[in-house]
This record gives sequence, C-alpha cells and structure tokens, in this order.
Amino acid sequence: MKGAILNVTENIAKTIINFLEKGLDKKCFDAVLIPIKVPAGDSFAWVLVQNKSLLKDANPLPPVMPVQGAKALSSITKMGKTNRKIAAIMRPCEVRAAVELSKLEQVNLENIFLISIDCPGVLPLKDYLGRPKEAMDKFNKILHSAQNDIQWGNESTRPACQVCDKFIGTDIGFCQSNLHIGILGTEDKIIFLIPNNESGKSILNEMDIEAEKSVDNWEKKAKEIIEVRKKKRKEVQERLKSEVMGIDNLLDTFSKCINCHNCRSACPICYCRQCYFESEIMKLPSDDYLMRADSKGALRFLPDTLLFHLGRMTHMSLSCVGCGACEDACPMSIDVSQIFNFVADNSQELFNYVPGKSVEESLPLKTYEEDELHKVEI
Amino acid sequence: MTKVLKTNKSVEEAVKELLKFLLKSGKVKGVFTLRKINGNGAVAYSLITSLDMLKDAVPLFPLMPANAGKLLSNLTLRGSVVDPVVAVVRPCELRAFIELVKRKQGSLENLLLVSSTCAGVYPLEMAVNGDIDKKLSQYWDATKRGEIVPDTRPTCMGCEHFLPYTADITVTLIGKKDIDNQCEIFLNTEKGQQFVDGIDGEFVEGKLESEEVVSMRNKRKDEKKRLFDEIGIEKFGLKGLIETFGKCIGCHGCSKVCPICYCNLCYSDSKTYEHKPSVYEMQLKRRGGLRVPPDTISYQIGRLTHVGISCVGCGLCADVCPANIPISTIFLKVGDSVQKMFDYLPGRDVEEQIPVTTFETDEFVEVED
Amino acid sequence: MNEKFAPKIVGFLCNWCSYAGADLAGVSRLQMPPSLRTIRVMCSSRVNPLFIIRVFLIGADGVLVAGCHPGDCHYQKGNYQARRKFAILKNIFENLGLESDRLRLSWISAGEGPGFAKVITEFTEKIKKLGPNPAKEEVFL
Repeated sequence: MKGAILNVTENIAKTIINFLEKGLDKKCFDAVLIPIKVPAGDSFAWVLVQNKSLLKDANPLPPVMPVQGAKALSSITKMGKTNRKIAAIMRPCEVRAAVELSKLEQVNLENIFLISIDCPGVLPLKDYLGRPKEAMDKFNKILHSAQNDIQWGNESTRPACQVCDKFIGTDIGFCQSNLHIGILGTEDKIIFLIPNNESGKSILNEMDIEAEKSVDNWEKKAKEIIEVRKKKRKEVQERLKSEVMGIDNLLDTFSKCINCHNCRSACPICYCRQCYFESEIMKLPSDDYLMRADSKGALRFLPDTLLFHLGRMTHMSLSCVGCGACEDACPMSIDVSQIFNFVADNSQELFNYVPGKSVEESLPLKTYEEDELHKVEI
Repeated sequence: MTKVLKTNKSVEEAVKELLKFLLKSGKVKGVFTLRKINGNGAVAYSLITSLDMLKDAVPLFPLMPANAGKLLSNLTLRGSVVDPVVAVVRPCELRAFIELVKRKQGSLENLLLVSSTCAGVYPLEMAVNGDIDKKLSQYWDATKRGEIVPDTRPTCMGCEHFLPYTADITVTLIGKKDIDNQCEIFLNTEKGQQFVDGIDGEFVEGKLESEEVVSMRNKRKDEKKRLFDEIGIEKFGLKGLIETFGKCIGCHGCSKVCPICYCNLCYSDSKTYEHKPSVYEMQLKRRGGLRVPPDTISYQIGRLTHVGISCVGCGLCADVCPANIPISTIFLKVGDSVQKMFDYLPGRDVEEQIPVTTFETDEFVEVED
Repeated sequence: MNEKFAPKIVGFLCNWCSYAGADLAGVSRLQMPPSLRTIRVMCSSRVNPLFIIRVFLIGADGVLVAGCHPGDCHYQKGNYQARRKFAILKNIFENLGLESDRLRLSWISAGEGPGFAKVITEFTEKIKKLGPNPAKEEVFL
C-alpha cells in the first residue's frame, strides 16, 4: 500500500482539520461531516459544516461515540443523494455501517467522500459524561500510547471496542472508505493519508498531494494490534459462552432488561421507523396474557423480552458491525454488544460475509446458491 | 372516614397475605405486581396466576422497572380483563393509567387497584448492581419516620401526589412507625370492600389524610420547589435549551418508557420529519452548519406540548436517558405549569376530561391579540 | 435595532375567516408591511403546535395563528380548541424562557380587511423591536 505523509502541526486532530479545510478551500468537497464539541462542552455531536469557523471545536476522533456516524449520514441521505459533495470523517465501524446501510438503501453514498481514521476505541458514554475533562485526558493518553503499547486502550475503552479487530479503515480492517488516515507507527510526528480507491487518489491529486510513500511502518503496527484484539475477542467470547448459552443463562442475562429498546434506537443497522416488536402485532388481548400466565403460574410483564432480543439478532446480526452503540445506550448496563457480537460473528461466518467490507458484496439474504447449507437440511 | 382492614403483620407480609387471599379464594384470577424473577435479584412486574409463584412477589419493592400504568394499558388495550385481576401499583402509575384510560388506551373494568402512600423508588441504575437490597433498611427507616427517602428519584423526592386518588385499596406506609408489626389497609371503594370480604383481620375506621400525610406533602412540596429552582428552566431560552440537550443522542428512550407517549409511531420517527437532502442543504447554506441527525430540540419541545398536560412525574424518562439529562424535572415543571392553567390534575378522576379535548367559550382571552 | 431588519412572519390563516380577511385587505389595497408568509389551513384548530415549533426553530421571526372570532367558527368549535392549544404552547415557551412574544393568536373575520392590516402592522412593529429570531443562526438545534 502507498500513501502520502503529512507532518503533524500542533496535534493530530489539528493536522486533520487543516487537511479538511484545505479540501474545502480547493472545493474538493463542499461540506464536511465531523463531530464537534457541543456548546455546553459536555459531549460531541455530528455537524454538517460549510462554515470553516465552526471547525475550531471539531474533533475527528472524539473520546465518545454518542451517535453512530452512519446514523447521522443516513438522516441526510435517506431520501436521496446530496447535491453537494460531503467529506464525512468517521471511525471504521461507522464507515462499515454506512456501507451496510447503503446496501439497505438507507444511505446514499453518491457524493459522499468517506474518510476513516485508525480508532483506539471510545470511552463508555456514562464515564465521559460524569467527568468530561478527566475522560478527555485519559483518552488522549490512550491515543498516544499506541507507539509503545500494543494493548492500545484495552483497559479503559468500552467492552465493544476492546474486542474490535476491525478498527483500521483499509482492507486489513475489512473497511472500504475512500481515504484512510493512519496514525499508528508514526511517533505522533506524521500521519499517513492512504487512498483506498481511485476516488481517494483523485481527491489527494486535487489537493496536490501525492500518495507515493510506503506505509509499511504503519501497516506493521496496525497488524500487531489487530492480532492482540483478535486474541482478546476469542477469549471474551469463550467466557461469554458460559454466561449466555442455554435458555436459563439467556433469561438471567436479560432479566434486568426493562424493554426500553434503546439498543434498537441507537443501532445504525436497525433502521425501521416502527420496529416489528413495537407494532400492533405485539399487542395481545388480555386473555392471551392470562392464558400464558396460567401455563407457568406467572408471566413477566411485558412478556417477550427475550423474543425482542433474539428477534433483533435474527433481523440484524448479519449486518452487525460491532460498533457498540447499543451498550452505551442500555440503561441497565447489559452486555448487549458482546452478546450481539458473539452471535453476529457466528452468523456472518455461515456465509463468509463481512458487513461493510464492500458495497459490491451482496447482503446474504438477498441472494443464494443452489447448492449450499446442506447441513441445516434434514 | 374510610373502612380500614387492620392486621398485626408487617406491611410486606400483610400485602402478600391480601394478594394470597384474593388469589386463593378465586376472587381474582391474576395478580399483577413486582416479583423476583430469578435468583440474582432481578425484579420485574409480573402477571401471577398461581399461589406458588406468588411466593416470589415483592409488591412494595422500591423499584419501577417500567411504568405499571403503561403495562396495565398494554394488558387491557384490546379489551378489559375478562376475569378480575388485582394490580399493585404506585400512585403515579395509577394516575398514568387513568390518563391512558381517558385516551381509550386501556380499561378499568375488572381491575382491583391496590396502591400505597408512596415513599418513592430508587433510580434504575441502582438496580444494575443489586444496590437496592442494601438500601432497604434506610428506605423503610425514613418512611417510618415520615422523612423523604434520600437517593430516590428526584421527581419522587419532590412528589406531592403520593396519596393515590383512584385506588380501590390503599396501604398506608408513610409516617407509620409500626409498619414492622402492623398494617392498615384502607378500603376506599365498595369494590375494595367487597373483594376483601372474608379476609382475616380487624375492621376499623380511619382517615387517609392524616397528619403524617400532610406533613410529608409539605416536605415534598418544598423539595419540589428546590428542585425546580435548581434547574431554573425559565432562564434557559434557546441557548439554555441547546446547552441542556447538546448531549441528547436522539434515542427517544424517554418517549418509549413514558406512559403518556402511547403513539405506535411517533411523529418525530415518521416520514413527516424525513426530508430530501436539498432541504438540509438549504439549511446548511443558511446556517453554515447543521447538527445531524436534525430536530433534537424540536422533538423535546414537541413532546412537552403533547405530553405535558398529562405528565405524572414518574421519572422513568430521566432514568432511561443514556446522556443523564434531567428530563423528568424539566417535563414535570412544564407539565405542572400547563396543568395549573386548567386546574387539571392528571389521573385525579377518570371522568375529568383532558383539557385539550374540551373548552369554555369564554376563557384565555389574555392569549388573544 | 437594525433598520434593515425585515421581519419574516409566518401566518396560519383559517380558510373561512382570516384568509378571506387577508384577501380583502389585499383587494382593498390597504398598506401593510410585506412581512407575512401565508399558509392557508381550513380551520385554526388544524394548526398542530408542532407546526408552530418547527417554523419558530427554522427561524421565522414571528408566527401568527389567525382564525374566526369565538362563536363564529365555520366548524362550530375549532377556534376554541385552537385557543387552548395556543395557550398551552405559549405557556411552555414562557416556562422555557423562549420568546413567547413571537407567537400571536388573532381573530380576524372575513370582512375585516382593515382589521387584518392592523394585526400585521402591529405584529411587524413588535417583531422589529424584538429583532431577528436567534434560532435562524443556531447550528446545534
């Protein structure tokens, strides 16, 4: 792989923002979609920016992910393509979710220039909201620790992030952004701009940037950390088995669930305006409930907590990108993301499918082979 | 004066005995109350039909995993319960249910409603680590002494409507020094009296509006005022609203758990609020920047407009918010104010019409110009 | 106060009375500032408070809801209900410290051409004093 090298001025965030401003100046794109610190300073929100002065509070790699970037992108492109060209700088899981959503016709990627960036993960939202300043310091430490520590944040980031092995926005992370920004293996002195396709190369050209340098240092470091994460993912999923396998364990795990469906609302893949599990079909006559209560002596009310989660798994696990938005949103701190990751990995493996890897790769349920999956037939 | 069933048992035992009596005698086919659903201390509302499962009931456990009014609405949405069911709910949940019945989202028929003079519930996050069990002795201690229980939901600590208005049966808890040995169960309605006919216990006369109740109401009113003064929403303005809701992630969890928000598909989740990219691009051009997903503030003000008139201050919205925004306080303050305009109290009386469904020919001339 | 400030007022006018009144004002060539952008509704009660909130947050300097005089509603009761909904919305705005003076409810009959012009002139003056709606420029709505 080849890329361009940019010297870091002040810090990595500033360097990236300067790069984006240059792109706006040269009219390579008309607007930027980037997280910006909210007026109260206690969180970050996605903002579509045309006025460069707004970028002073921007942060391309914020310490938290309150809203999944693909969801933000979908809110503007659901009804069609944008007329102006927009550069969206997002984390690899957000780019992958955006690519999945484009297959599901919830995001229109025409005129969107996707930029990804090496991601150490994010801090749990509740941790950040409690103490924003300390959290920001902690996150900055994590960001810079990669040069010496291949754990890269494994102790303090969200559980979903700790087991993420797809935090790189190139083919080694199964991600197809237009341009990827590499910050690993650089001693914080430079960043790599790595075009993933022609579109990426041509934007760099327009900005008079040549992508001719080797990025081997970066790739080596990235692969090292990926191996660590892969191992951790396996370990965590082994441990998880004993917690969730079997109906009793599942019921126990979801016993604290209050059916708020925040996990569904935060999930970028769950795009249904009205979820099946919130529709008329789930509202039964009182006899039904009483009959069900009678059969076991008691019925948890509202019933069908597990049905909702298993159902959601069935509906979206093939496209689950493991972003962890669900676990940040859960008020009862249930390990939703870990459980869904576990199931998703298995169901995706069935079809050798990686969500968000490629726009061309068809959703498994939209296609079929005549001769496959014989093991499920009897 | 109201007829009172007096037993020499702790309130927890007495309430469980009452439920057992009702189920065993066949007077009710089901019991709707909080139950320990597994060995790990998880507590959830349940519909119980067997005496065996009733053993795990914890009717007075200070947790509200969902608003029972919303759950009763789900139970009776498609028609009232055919056989009698007794439901143990908190005063705000009961008020919420009445508001839903007014909106044709539930039915009161065949429901025996049991409530209590409510000392409040703990926030949901305390249930995450099983911390509530550790707090129980402090909870009952404060309740006995007629003090506000610390660390309960803010809207509980400031709740002045802790005396149920429409319950058939009310269990008195607040300020009752001897709740470990004695229980007074008020039979407010004929229905209540009929259902307990035949139960063991002494029948006396009593007054719900006791000194302890009046004293607690004053304390709660003071706390409510303090809560409202602290948040100071009148000083918000647009800037203040933007600051408060800056961290809102648009999950709409507040709406999903709210008993009054019963719409299958909220306006704000519908196509009405989805626009072609050109609409957003026009906004972008004018403002120079546009937060996306859009309509964060408009959703909050919109929900206030729709729900404020019936807000009962249960506090689930704030509990479920992933961004720790004090939604319940904001909604209760605005709700109280809107309700005062019409001298309306949600859930006070099922015959009392919701103000937006009716009118006077000569009113509010001060808003005309 | 910026003299160049030309307020933009969005008006929800009921078809039978206030829209006709506006029409009469126009036909009679009555002078009034060109601040009003009209939206015709069949009855003032059609106005969902969400419309007013949306228009306010998009940046309208003023929002007018106009209907028939109480007792004269083409649909008998609509304006009474509109009055209640408007009163609630105004109360909410006051509670949140939002400029409730930017919202106005007026009763204008079909024959009140001059009446309509008076409402628009007065309201525009008031809005001029308040200045442009800051919501116009907000990014984090």
